[in-house]
Amino acid sequence: MQNKDDRNDFDEIFLPYMSEAYRLAHWLSGNASDAEDIVQEAAIRAFRGIKGFGAVNARAWSLTIVRNTALSWLTKNRPRKVSYINDLNPAEQQEIEYEGLHGAKVETPEDVVLFKADATAIQKALEQLPTQFREVIVLREINQMNYRDIAEITNVPIGTVMSRLSRGRQLLIELLGDRK
Amino acid sequence: MAVSLRDNDELLLTAYCDGELDAAAAGEFERRLAADALLKARYTRLMSLRQAVRALPQVDMPSDLQARIQARLNAEQTNVETERSNVERPGKVSNVTVLRRRSWSFQALAASAVFGAVISGSVLKTIDRFGQEDTVASEVVAGHIRGLLAPQPFDIASSDRHTVKPWFTSRLPESPQVPDLAAQGFTLLGGRVDVINNRPVATIVYKHAAHTVSLTTLRPGQTVPEQTIAGYNVRSWSDGNFTYVAVGDLPSADLAVFEREFTAAAPAGEIKQ
Repeated sequence: MQNKDDRNDFDEIFLPYMSEAYRLAHWLSGNASDAEDIVQEAAIRAFRGIKGFGAVNARAWSLTIVRNTALSWLTKNRPRKVSYINDLNPAEQQEIEYEGLHGAKVETPEDVVLFKADATAIQKALEQLPTQFREVIVLREINQMNYRDIAEITNVPIGTVMSRLSRGRQLLIELLGDRK
Repeated sequence: MAVSLRDNDELLLTAYCDGELDAAAAGEFERRLAADALLKARYTRLMSLRQAVRALPQVDMPSDLQARIQARLNAEQTNVETERSNVERPGKVSNVTVLRRRSWSFQALAASAVFGAVISGSVLKTIDRFGQEDTVASEVVAGHIRGLLAPQPFDIASSDRHTVKPWFTSRLPESPQVPDLAAQGFTLLGGRVDVINNRPVATIVYKHAAHTVSLTTLRPGQTVPEQTIAGYNVRSWSDGNFTYVAVGDLPSADLAVFEREFTAAAPAGEIKQ
């Protein structure tokens, strides 16, 4: 049952990360009103589950709830926005996560071109990424979290965080390259 | 196998860009970067992508969202309290009520768990109290000794308190103020996380002449008597936010000076982030 102490705990644990929570929800959902719904629901979940806080890392704990709420909310209300690599068969998944990132392509230093930062293009490319890749990139670059915290939030081993970041960035590079 | 070597490079490159390689691996990778033009070009590209993503315009939370959430939680709290006093308001079955009903069995479970915890907790506390103060002091001293034996007595090296404080904040539920006392003769070296009583706590490390002082911050309300353990002096004091335990091989009079300077520089009440 929620009482005043729970409320105080909530204010100390979840509240400081509210604007970060909103930002994460916004990146995962792609729009403002969905982000609001997600943050509201996450806040209520956090309040109800405040006794489950393990007293280690309030930021990771709070963002874990936001991330899980966002994914379940989107799966329910915007199924088209959520794409999992789990939808692929194990061999394909293996290939995406671990296979040669350049495949048969052989690059020379001259082939490797730099980015002209075009915010709209990058934003679009990010939105096209499968959810697993998008979330690690957002957590890393926007929320600026380290591998350990990202692993905790997304509930995968650190090695998987690393390979997803690697593959996700490679996909971004490919998507952005195609536009030129 | 050229292909698998390549995969590994890609992962190394990723970890290197994110600053997640340890010092030895990073050094080795840097030597390879300097020798391999393709690797270097891919590194530059990856970093430019990272910068571009970081530079994306960020949305701000609508200014009234926090107030709306607070109102929603107030309603939830009131609802629970109303139910407790058995006053049902007809015609006001909100979705909060519906959700609450669903979580009934969980609440019952939680309530019984709390009961159990209160009973066993109070018994254990009495038993524990005998040995606990000594244990805390020796655990704090053990942390200090381990720090002295390690290549450096801290996890984060910085004489800048604006670096040390956020480092603690990102790792611990409660983090102390980190004043720089260089002017008073205690130079800030850095900070580390010690584990005292199975809880991670913040320890701030200072240098005083040739002596290292570890200041470990525990939950408030504990008493650790002044004592000497394994040749290290232990001095403890409390404010509303923490019980501080200072350990070092400097004379206890100097530790008393340290207490005075620290307390003056980090007054209680400003400590919450």
